[in-house]
Amino acid sequence: MTSDIPNPAELVQTADFAALVREHQSMVFSLALHFLHDRASAEELAQDVFLQLYRHLGELKSPEHVVYWLRRVTANRCISESRRRQRRPEVPLEDAPESEAPKSESDPLAGERLRRMVASLPEKIRMVVLLRYQEDLDPEDIAKLLAMSVNTVKSQLQRALVMLRRKASGMELER
Amino acid sequence: MDPLERELKNALRREEPSGDFTARVLARVEQQKRRPSWWSRWFTAPGLRWATAVVLCVLVVGGVVYQREQARRRAEGEVAREQVMLALRIAGTKVKLAQDRVQQMSDRSTRRN
Repeated sequence: MTSDIPNPAELVQTADFAALVREHQSMVFSLALHFLHDRASAEELAQDVFLQLYRHLGELKSPEHVVYWLRRVTANRCISESRRRQRRPEVPLEDAPESEAPKSESDPLAGERLRRMVASLPEKIRMVVLLRYQEDLDPEDIAKLLAMSVNTVKSQLQRALVMLRRKASGMELER
Repeated sequence: MDPLERELKNALRREEPSGDFTARVLARVEQQKRRPSWWSRWFTAPGLRWATAVVLCVLVVGGVVYQREQARRRAEGEVAREQVMLALRIAGTKVKLAQDRVQQMSDRSTRRN
């Protein structure tokens, strides 16, 4: 996926930075979108991440290093942003407008419900879930990214699934 | 993989941001490139420029005054040291004279006896 991208250190002064943004924008934006469940804030956060990437390009050794760096910085920024919002609450999740993103799965309502349930999980668990199911990372890679032990990641994934099942069954009862 | 995990994978698929996302990132990069660094802003801001000049002047004048004061103290110390040495030399000579006198008196009284 990243093999066509030149060495990041060579990109600092070139327009190829645009190619780097295009290559990774869906990963960064989707992590932020699924974490914050707010399209405008996700775009803002993703832009900030790429701006930070531009400043640090010289330090990144390879395309793989760029991907690792982007995931780590996005995860940290998402968690910080979520904590900032908790201190200064804006719109509660229930009142937030539905995401305008196109949903292509067979049951769009179910998908949206699941995304909202994920967005209501505790921050660290939410990020573990996103890295596991959006980015398809192994618990070992997630542990490295979030500076956790592999066992913690595995137990948080189990907890997340239990919480999501409980939330889903609660919703079924409400309907 | 259980059904919930499959649903999660499906629901959390990557999505693209708005069409002008890359252009907006590049515009912000350009904006950042044009923005002067904090130290050049420090020296070019009108109010801060004068404050910086005043602070630098105070530092330079203060440094010169401090150096002169140190030199003056060193010179005074040197003079005081020389005065002490002279006083010690004079005192030493006087003691030697007194010793000679005492010796002469003692010699004379021994001869008389």
